[in-house]
Amino acid sequence: MAQTTLDAVAHGTGTRRDFLTILTVSGGLVGLAAVVWPLIDALGPDAQSDAAAHMIVDVAGIAENSAISVMWAGLPIYIRKLTAKQIADNQFVVPDSLADPADYTDRVKPGYENFVVVVGLNTATPCELEGNDPADPRGPFDGWLCPCDGSVYDPLGRVRGGPATKNLAIPRFTFLNNAQIQFG
Amino acid sequence: MSTDVKPSWTASRLPFLADWEARIAARTLPREGAYLSILPWVITAGLVLLAASGLVLAVYYSPAHAFDSIQFIDRDVNNGWLVHGFHETGATMVFGAVYLMLFRGLLARPYKAPAELVWLAQVAVFALLLLVGWLGYTLTGGAASYWALTEAANAASRLGGAPGAIGVWFFGGPNGDGTLGRMAVFHIALALVIFCVLWLHRAAKQAVTPPAVGRGAVGFHPYYTSQYFVALVVFALIFSVLVFFAPHFGQSRLNLLPADPTIVPGKLLFPWYLAPVSGLAALLPGTAGGIIAVVAGLGVLVALPWLDLSGPNGRAGFLYRFLVVVLALDVFGLGWAASSPASALSGILVVLFAVWYFLHFLVLTPLVTSMEAE
Repeated sequence: MAQTTLDAVAHGTGTRRDFLTILTVSGGLVGLAAVVWPLIDALGPDAQSDAAAHMIVDVAGIAENSAISVMWAGLPIYIRKLTAKQIADNQFVVPDSLADPADYTDRVKPGYENFVVVVGLNTATPCELEGNDPADPRGPFDGWLCPCDGSVYDPLGRVRGGPATKNLAIPRFTFLNNAQIQFG
Repeated sequence: MSTDVKPSWTASRLPFLADWEARIAARTLPREGAYLSILPWVITAGLVLLAASGLVLAVYYSPAHAFDSIQFIDRDVNNGWLVHGFHETGATMVFGAVYLMLFRGLLARPYKAPAELVWLAQVAVFALLLLVGWLGYTLTGGAASYWALTEAANAASRLGGAPGAIGVWFFGGPNGDGTLGRMAVFHIALALVIFCVLWLHRAAKQAVTPPAVGRGAVGFHPYYTSQYFVALVVFALIFSVLVFFAPHFGQSRLNLLPADPTIVPGKLLFPWYLAPVSGLAALLPGTAGGIIAVVAGLGVLVALPWLDLSGPNGRAGFLYRFLVVVLALDVFGLGWAASSPASALSGILVVLFAVWYFLHFLVLTPLVTSMEAE
């Protein structure tokens, strides 16, 4: 055994063979990766789907005390601009007194505290909520009301009554500036 | 392998892994092998590439909007043009390898008893590939594909008896809303069958190959793996040139236009690998005639082990080898004539080349092989 090793080293075959093996295997792996990468990349979303998944919405035009509804990720998203009175009414509610405790700051983004962005589906019966327009029935808390089972939400989207026990879901979004928010 | 060594966690649960290393290094394979005996492996590798790229294409392909969905793949999907190119060029490469494998089979005659099944599996791979290739060609939803599918589906519904029943079952009646969806499913399902037939081919070949012993024997690894690697590099080289410089090599130019049910093309053009078969189909008149001619064209390949009368040890003489080369040129000419613009000359040439094809197998092969069999 020792003799064989010695021979191999003496003739330099060991190192040369190792070098060629490493070279061949790495060359093969690079080639394989070059073939496989386009196949993996192609399964990712194309530019148009990607843009739709990261939709940008203009919120500058929303009037105070009203909300707009946009479709994102297959869900109706309500974007509501609060009035000073609505903020004052809900800012200091003790979270533990609610069915699904949540603070005012949990429901809005810092710096943009007058905007509430929620999924506009009742959390008990999946039904589109009413109350985006000031003329709509909004329930006792001036928020949203479910036309199907009568669940009541406040302007921050916290459940205040009815069969529902969970607050309205908040989608992933960020404020790009005062006028635009981006989902995803 | 000594028994006192505790097998690893996976090896004790999957015993075939335990002696995997010992088996691929076992010296049971002949030292000298023909270069082109590597072709079935090249075909398998090409089919794996086709399956992988086909999987991606199937994600975006929509039978109801065939042409538009392929435009979407080419223009909007990340690297979609490249994946489409992989699939198109992969088809060309696999067909090239299969045509070469059949040519080598005719020349080297490895179909002698008891290896008939090896040859029959090769012919089955060819026949299935032709069907899968034709189905893939119809899926493009181009101007030529649409009419090829329409004519085939209409012809199938006109046939009577059992062939007609099979045709209606296959196409689901005349070309309509659901037809391309069926073609897509058959395209994928039959492609998977080809893998099974290739496995059958491998098993049949191993059954008739006596294990090599003594100093002439080498192990699969590293001797055969390195040779496979060289074959793969050559394959990749040709493939890259085609995919980057001629991605639509040998495809029907008419298919660059979307299907139009109101415009019938003057002549249906097929991809290069289907062209010789379309030439054979033109030999006999009518739909039934075309089908009979194609089935007969494959049938003579199936019958070849019994048409070769040279006996188990007969060597192929110069004349037979010369005739095989002439046949290869004949098939090339058949494809060329069948895909050139319709004219009296190309019509005559197609018939001439197709007749020679049958003449070679049915008359010349038995005659020459029995003459040369001392």
